Amino acid sequence: MTVLPALPSAVEEPRASRTRRRPLSVVEAVAAVALLVVIVAAVAPGLIAPRDPLAIAPTDAFAAPSWAHPFGTDDSGRDLFSRVVHGTSASLLIGVAATAIGVLLGLVLGIAAGIGTRVTDVAVSRLLEVLFALPGLLLALVIIAFVGPGPVPATIAVGLATAPGYARIFRTQIRRVRSSEMVEAARVLGRRPSVLLVRHVLPNALAPVVVLATLGVGQAVVWASSLSYLGLGSPPPAPEWGAMLEAGRTYLGVAWWMTAFPGAAIVLVAAATTVLGRRLSRRNRGMR
Amino acid sequence: MTRALVWLAKRVAGGVVVLWAVATLIFFAIRLVPGDPAEAILGGPGSQASAATLALVRREYGLDQPLGVQYLRQLGHLATGDLGTSYSLKQSVASVLAAQVPPTLVLAALSLVVAWLLAIGTAWWSASGGRIANALASGLEVVASAVPHFLLASILIVVFATQLGLLPPVSTGTPSGLVLPVVTLAVPVAGFLGQVTRDSLLDAASAPFALSARARGESASGVFGRHLLRHAALPGLALSGWAFGSLLSGAIVVESVFARPGLGRTLLQAVTLRDIPLVTGVALVSALAYVVVVALGDLAEAVVDPRVRDASRSRRPRNRGTVAA
Amino acid sequence: MRPPIVPVLALAAASLLVLTGCTSGSGASTASGTPVAGGTLTYATGDAEPTCLDPHVGGNYPQALVASQYLEELVSKDKAGNTIPWLATSWKTAADGSSLTFTLKKGVTFTDGTPFDAAAVVANIEHVKNPSTLSSTGYLALQKVSKAVAASTDTVRLDLSSPDSSLLDSLSQPWLAMESPTALKRSQAVNCESPVGTGPFVVTKWVKQQAITLTRNPKYTSPPKDAAHTGPAYLKTITWRFIPDSATRYAALQSGDVDVIDNAQPDSIVAAGKSSQLKELNAPRPGVSDRLELNSGQAPFDDDRVREAFISGVDVNAGIKSLFFGTATRSYSLLSSVEKSGYSDKSLFDVDTTKAARLLDQAGWTGRDSSGYRTKDGQRLTVRFPVSTNQSIPAERALFEQIQAEAKSLGFDVEIQQLDLSSWYGALAKHQYEIVSAPYTKVGPGVLDIVYDSASIKPAPSGYFANLAQVNLPQLDTVLQQAGQEQDATKRQALYTQAQKIVLDGYYVLPLYDQQNHYLYRTSVHGLRAMPTVSTPTLYDTWLEK
Repeated sequence: MTVLPALPSAVEEPRASRTRRRPLSVVEAVAAVALLVVIVAAVAPGLIAPRDPLAIAPTDAFAAPSWAHPFGTDDSGRDLFSRVVHGTSASLLIGVAATAIGVLLGLVLGIAAGIGTRVTDVAVSRLLEVLFALPGLLLALVIIAFVGPGPVPATIAVGLATAPGYARIFRTQIRRVRSSEMVEAARVLGRRPSVLLVRHVLPNALAPVVVLATLGVGQAVVWASSLSYLGLGSPPPAPEWGAMLEAGRTYLGVAWWMTAFPGAAIVLVAAATTVLGRRLSRRNRGMR
Repeated sequence: MTRALVWLAKRVAGGVVVLWAVATLIFFAIRLVPGDPAEAILGGPGSQASAATLALVRREYGLDQPLGVQYLRQLGHLATGDLGTSYSLKQSVASVLAAQVPPTLVLAALSLVVAWLLAIGTAWWSASGGRIANALASGLEVVASAVPHFLLASILIVVFATQLGLLPPVSTGTPSGLVLPVVTLAVPVAGFLGQVTRDSLLDAASAPFALSARARGESASGVFGRHLLRHAALPGLALSGWAFGSLLSGAIVVESVFARPGLGRTLLQAVTLRDIPLVTGVALVSALAYVVVVALGDLAEAVVDPRVRDASRSRRPRNRGTVAA
Repeated sequence: MRPPIVPVLALAAASLLVLTGCTSGSGASTASGTPVAGGTLTYATGDAEPTCLDPHVGGNYPQALVASQYLEELVSKDKAGNTIPWLATSWKTAADGSSLTFTLKKGVTFTDGTPFDAAAVVANIEHVKNPSTLSSTGYLALQKVSKAVAASTDTVRLDLSSPDSSLLDSLSQPWLAMESPTALKRSQAVNCESPVGTGPFVVTKWVKQQAITLTRNPKYTSPPKDAAHTGPAYLKTITWRFIPDSATRYAALQSGDVDVIDNAQPDSIVAAGKSSQLKELNAPRPGVSDRLELNSGQAPFDDDRVREAFISGVDVNAGIKSLFFGTATRSYSLLSSVEKSGYSDKSLFDVDTTKAARLLDQAGWTGRDSSGYRTKDGQRLTVRFPVSTNQSIPAERALFEQIQAEAKSLGFDVEIQQLDLSSWYGALAKHQYEIVSAPYTKVGPGVLDIVYDSASIKPAPSGYFANLAQVNLPQLDTVLQQAGQEQDATKRQALYTQAQKIVLDGYYVLPLYDQQNHYLYRTSVHGLRAMPTVSTPTLYDTWLEK
């Protein structure tokens, strides 16, 4: 739900010394394994849960977790374990696609501001200021008000809402790298600006964004689930975590497992990406 | 004194520019989206508006005029505080907002305070409690920042209202009715603020001034309160604009779950009914609130950090930004 | 016409049992003590917050719910379905059916002091019929009324363009309630905020998104004939809250923060049944049953074999049983079980997947694509099913998903589209649907004229068309027209039964259950009952144990 702040640490001056690496802490190791499992579930759900996530069995509805159904069954008797596993790709896709939209748009705006003239810089910076003034979910709702609800508008809305943050970081990074000695030297050597941009500026500016994008995917998943709760997200019966969570909430009194497992999946992804993203960001700073 | 006035004037001018841009964006967005803007104003494809009604709306909103004229007229209306009439509530948007803004501001402001208390509390605990406390606090913060509001709200309602019977599950207009909504809204933000605060706290704790303070024999809590907290709060304060935006986003969900009146629920209803004038009004008001809060955050920073007081006139290179506001 | 009477009687008896069953519950609570006056009752509704409190404007169920507390109608219904006096003491239909004359109750005044008289009734009829009021439900019900005439201060005559056997039923609904003509002269925006009626409560405050405050009308004199007491209401104030989230609403009832909730979810109803502090009032809405309608106006359901295949190929019984926890009973009728004229035929809905497959083969849907769906000339057997999230509860949406899964095994590709109300109306208006479930609440079998007459395929001025199955049978139209004009109750019933048979036999409709309408309330609430007209709750007889 809450979309993450650019941890100030992530964008501080990249230090030269990246030599000392701290071994993974327990929490980070758990997060890494969890993400690995999540990725396997997204790519090949059949490996983990061979059952059909859409197969209904009304007589088995609302069954508590058991050996046959480790996560229990939902209101139509569908196996929740299969649904959570098979829902991974859909849920992650929304997060990844939204983040991709945000990063790409941020890249365009950031480059425009970072390497353009002073006028474009001021103009883009102002535009970013304006987009910041509309908080994320609010902006998403405004967009949905115009184009109507659904998973695609929801994804685009989340993506647009995250773009200004990325754009601002790109701009800062590009400006910083551009004025660095390395680039100055290349310019003196007579490299063309476009070559400079591709060879030197972008790779250096991208590093912190990769970190933030990692953090962003988890948060975008949380976000998309909120839109599903508000009835503006994915349609049924596709197993998507947000939609499953919303369906389960109704039955919190009789079937806690319908809420608990999809909810845990969302929290797991968001928490794991946060932990790993922070680790990357520390490394990026060259700390510890 | 004059410097303060100049600062204020700059802030006001900046705020006006932001509001103008938001209004402009929305004005052109309505006209860019495929379909009849008159129909959009009346509630979208399901409005089943008759030709006569559509003509009426076109005249009322000047949609039959050239685009430039329409735009200037719209700005003129906004300048005089006329936000138009809500299609669904048949009331002036300004009066709807006047009634719905205060409850949301109360909710958001209280949540911001609670979030800060939680964040500082865990930061202090982890700074003073050793490795295990640190790991636990860090884990709590991560989970807190990853929980969707509506999930947290459901859990809180089941535990504190249904099982324990301690707190009302809906807002009741009494202080006790505010507890669950405020906590729901505060926890995820506290998770983020905690992470940021603790990072800089740990950095500061190993900084020379802290070591020397401790060497002088100051107590751990004394060092925390006098030196570290001030240092650690800065990046958090710089994020208050972001935090407030996040609270406004969260208010949309929290107000729906706890049946509270407010801006968020109004927006949700307006979106469902495609009430464009009302959506525009809510967007403008929250942009205004954001501008004010960012200005206040900067003021607070200046108070906490003397360095900023002198530097803030020039453009600060420091990142105040967010991945998403 | 003889055989159908038996199921009708059985159904009527069953519904009577249901009705007496639930009313004896609340009746018993009334008897448990002497009513106490005073106190504030908090009612939490899950329905959408109305945008206008005057049910003449538009005319939906959320408006009817709250309007039942402050507005009253000319007539009402008793539990057996007979029309009983309310603001009118008696009425008479002209021998040729060309007019309906009402004698009005004397000495009734609106809460703004305006007297209730024939001129007031005329003003109300004209208000509903005025296109600028934007009435939909009330407007449709008054289509045959050409003119309202005040014959004397307490006699009013409605002149009809053709006989209308449903008019009395219509006039018992909140959408045709009587409002102060003085108040109606104000602007619509103002009247929407504070409509003025003759009812036991008065709208005193409306804080949007939060609550409507209703206070007791101390001079109230006009309860309907079947009310339990006379004089002013017991409750001093009603706080009418909007709590859209069903889990929160039920939690608020459990914690005692609210006293009555509507739109109770099936699992909550079962849980409440086990609680010593909560009670249930089950009052199915009149009108059509909740059902799926198959759009016969376009392919593939323009082929009656495909319709029959769909209806006989999907089994909904198991789903209804598990999703509704026994709180809903499967219906085999077009009409609500509270409707005496309802005709039911279970045999038409026996599940037979072999027959369904054979019918689809015969209709030419013989191919199969890679996903297992049937095809014909390379076209997949796809049917679109727009679902309005505002008009269906989660259990119902889950049932639709089960139907989707059942139909898949037959080879149907059912595309469920969850839409907000605006987009949903938009999809219907553009005929972008093959299956739809649309509620329609109306007193009496006259709802069949609205929902199945071929004239209802053409959109009304409001843009909505009610014949969503697009049934277009001249024979049916004739029967419905005769029924609508028939003054003799027995003959009218026979005609409506015939009409229902025609629709059911054509496999246009898959009935599911009654339009669910469950209220839960705390045991400290006594004397709560639902109006026998449109099943809205009335808090006039209600009192709070202290």
